[in-house]
Amino acid sequence: MEQASAGAYPYVIEMLHITKEFPGIKANDDITLQLKRGEIHALLGENGAGKSTLMSVLFGLYQPEQGEIRKDGKVVRIKDPNDATALNIGMVHQHFKLIEVFSVLDNIILGAEDTKLGFLQKKEARKKVKALSEKYGLRIDMDAKVEDITVGMQQRVEILKMLYRDNDILIFDEPTAVLTPQEIEELMQIMRNLKAEGKSILFISHKLNEIMEVSDRVTVLRKGRCVGTVDTSSTTKEKLSEMMVGRPVQLVVEKGEAHPSDVVLKIEGLSVPSKIHKNDAVRNVSLEVRKGEIVCIAGIDGNGQTEFVHALTGLEKASAGRITLCGKDITHASIRKRSLTGMSHIPEDRHKHGMVLDFTLEQNLVLQRYFEPQFQNHGFIKFNAVREYADKLIERFDVRSGQGPVTKARSMSGGNQQKAIVARELDRNMPLVVAVQPTRGLDVGAIEYIHSQLVAQRDEGKAVLLVSLELEEVMNLSDRILVMYEGEIVGELDPKKTTTQELGLYMAGAKRQDKEAKAE
Amino acid sequence: MKTRSFFNKDGTKSVLSTLISILIGLIAGALIILIVGLVDDKLGLKEAWKGIRLIFFGLFSKGQQAGRLVFGFNSTNIGDMLFRAVPIIMTGLSVSLAYKTGLFNIGASGQYLAGTTAALFIALKMNTAVVAPWIVWILAFFGGMLAGAFWGAIPGMLKAFLNINEVLACIMTNWLAANIVTWVFEGSGLQCTEGTKTQVIWKTSHNGVATAKMGLDKLFPESQQVDGGIIVVILIAILIYILLTKTTLGFELKACGANRHSARYAGIKDKRSIVLSMAIAGALAGAGAALYYLSGSTEFHWQTYLSLPGEGFTGIAVALLGACNPIANIFTGMFLSTLDVAGSKLSFFTEYNEYITDVIIAVIVYLSAFSLLIKTWLTKKFKKSDDGFRKIPDVAYTSKSGQGDKLPNAAAAGKEGNA
Ligand SMILES: Nc1ncnc2c1ncn2[C@@H]1O[C@H](COP(=O)(O)OP(=O)(O)OP(=O)(O)O)[C@@H](O)[C@H]1O
Ligand SMILES: [Mg+2]
Repeated sequence: MEQASAGAYPYVIEMLHITKEFPGIKANDDITLQLKRGEIHALLGENGAGKSTLMSVLFGLYQPEQGEIRKDGKVVRIKDPNDATALNIGMVHQHFKLIEVFSVLDNIILGAEDTKLGFLQKKEARKKVKALSEKYGLRIDMDAKVEDITVGMQQRVEILKMLYRDNDILIFDEPTAVLTPQEIEELMQIMRNLKAEGKSILFISHKLNEIMEVSDRVTVLRKGRCVGTVDTSSTTKEKLSEMMVGRPVQLVVEKGEAHPSDVVLKIEGLSVPSKIHKNDAVRNVSLEVRKGEIVCIAGIDGNGQTEFVHALTGLEKASAGRITLCGKDITHASIRKRSLTGMSHIPEDRHKHGMVLDFTLEQNLVLQRYFEPQFQNHGFIKFNAVREYADKLIERFDVRSGQGPVTKARSMSGGNQQKAIVARELDRNMPLVVAVQPTRGLDVGAIEYIHSQLVAQRDEGKAVLLVSLELEEVMNLSDRILVMYEGEIVGELDPKKTTTQELGLYMAGAKRQDKEAKAE
Repeated sequence: MKTRSFFNKDGTKSVLSTLISILIGLIAGALIILIVGLVDDKLGLKEAWKGIRLIFFGLFSKGQQAGRLVFGFNSTNIGDMLFRAVPIIMTGLSVSLAYKTGLFNIGASGQYLAGTTAALFIALKMNTAVVAPWIVWILAFFGGMLAGAFWGAIPGMLKAFLNINEVLACIMTNWLAANIVTWVFEGSGLQCTEGTKTQVIWKTSHNGVATAKMGLDKLFPESQQVDGGIIVVILIAILIYILLTKTTLGFELKACGANRHSARYAGIKDKRSIVLSMAIAGALAGAGAALYYLSGSTEFHWQTYLSLPGEGFTGIAVALLGACNPIANIFTGMFLSTLDVAGSKLSFFTEYNEYITDVIIAVIVYLSAFSLLIKTWLTKKFKKSDDGFRKIPDVAYTSKSGQGDKLPNAAAAGKEGNA
């Protein structure tokens, strides 16, 4: 019945003139967004443009200072997530909110279980979940514990959680940032299925390819304002990025010929034990990185890249092998020693390693250099010097935040946190830059800037070791590609001579060079 | 607009929320006194009214005249209050420093006992005929401090190297200290029995060792107890404040407390930092004990130390009430010792039991744990948003931590995708 009455009204959700302020910043400034019934509506915008804030307002996590929300044309007040759930609005946060030690099924029904006749009806629940998962192609293992399943499956669990609650307005906040390319493909299909069933979807992503592929309309935000809403079919990636950044963006990296010279990093026979199984996570890896080249380690997530980087940077111990940096043996050196010998490190996990979230932006910007004479005198921090330095980096790398250097890192948008880390590491001017997923979660403008910075580092004669899961980034940026599969380097490829398909085969372990190289 | 930004300052909010907790605690105490007064027919309304006034203004009580309470400046009370604040400000600093560096030190009691033992042994065993008493004092003070540091470092090491929760380790070291101290004193042969008392007691003035008065006896001439200890404490609080906010060492300790992983990533020795934090915290508690017992006017009875000294736990109250700010701890410590004085007045001038002040302290401590709530309430009152506090941490792109575990699966997914 609701369907019938609402059927006439084209918009399921309307957010009208929403304004939300945080100290020092208007995160949302008079934004209007209209979601049509049964559409996939993408939300695009630079880092810190206010996307997550807007979605949090819709989900009842923040109260806007101004504006109203309408559901099926009627004004509603959403004071907290319970109100949102009552209106059939569901949200998948970027960082999943599942209980690790519970089973998948328990996680799905948790919180909605008591609606069943007052006592647990697990059988019924199981049936319903099974039906839903088959209907939408959401493969899950209902009895596995959440801590044992992949991120991709965790995400499917989150989606099922929404469906189980009969949500029909689904919010996805950057769902693809943590997924492998294969999982992204799957998610796109799932979203199409959901749409076919009449669900309406709000979808945040920085990846223009995904937006072009799956969405019907796109709303673009810039600095808290709404730039406009366009039909996906009538726009292009270039147009979208121009709308969001305000100028044309170079989507392909511009770089000249590499001129590799002296060896900066030499790794011989490196093995790293695994934390979960008896085999080594990294097995007998040898490689060299030279001045003036970008070497990329490509591979599907979980093939030993993390452990490799940790052993290289000193976060984990290697079980065998030798690491030489700038001619010095650093195999057993401390983290600080390695870093000062000439290594900067953009870590994979920005919240675990990259930042101290409870520190301010400026404290985070000097995290690797607070002990240098420039910033301290006999153990006393020179606050003015720190402030000046922070201001300089914020300006150069366009790190946006509410209160500048004194903003708490925790309150910054994800992309801007990443920019701050990249700024800190690249400005250290070290002969070797280890960059792991340096552009994860960044907008196209910021990606362009960071890519150009990495190329600039290369051209200045630095050695860059890039670890990336993103095929496009790998193909675009690197001068040499090493493919890692199950802890081993299975092939070395020249990005100019290879294709994405071939790279994919190596990454999946379907091809390896030591046997085939000679045959070919 | 001006007042608004004043109320919106983080510091102002902390101070206000502390004051509100204190006020509610006092009112709760007054209510308890009133109710007890009405129920118990020994007491009655009149006695209750006396009690309530003493709870609020006990520090300024000048005794009774013709059954009526007289209030005014009382140098004995204030001097005593300052003296009693010494050990609890120190244990408060101990808890605060640990807290600011990400650790919960409930081991201050044990560290306090360690400090007590070392300070008393040095002060009583060294021959003051050979070594000047002031040198003995200094040695005993640092001895107490070191002993506390050592006792604090133990849970620190357990945490750093074996990843044992410091709260558990602290409880263990507390009881260990209580028993070791009893055993050590029993066999020590150190007995300075005072004429009228039957118990065996230790008092450093027997050996001519006592904290200098530093002129405070002139300011508060009637107080027997007040001495330079409070000045030393204030200096130490300022030093700790500087350590935490102005130095690279403080930066490292705080970074490590806020996020051990990122501190390690940045080359900070995380294990060393944790041990150091706990050692400094222990040193503060130990120094507090040394200052208390070296005053010369205090006695130590080990028999009672089958239980733990209350200073360690009062320290938690001092720290929490002052939002773990070292400077604020000076004031919150003095406030709690004011209550202590008020309590003794209460039992002296009324039929009430002085333990009612313990109830008030307990209420205030509970409220200080809620002071964060009060703070958010204040925030809402004066401005709608609050920085540094995100309801949904945008952990987002992150946490690959633990995802390495998914190696076989991810690889399998890859195979399917590409085959
Ligand atoms: N709780 C908060 N307190 C203070 N400032 C905040 C808070 N939440 C967001 N902000 C600020 O509001 C702005 C918008 O943040 P938001 O997280 O919505 O950005 P976003 O568009 O999702 O960016 P990204 O793509 O980087 O995730 C940012 O400048 C951020 O610093
Ligand atoms: Mg966001």
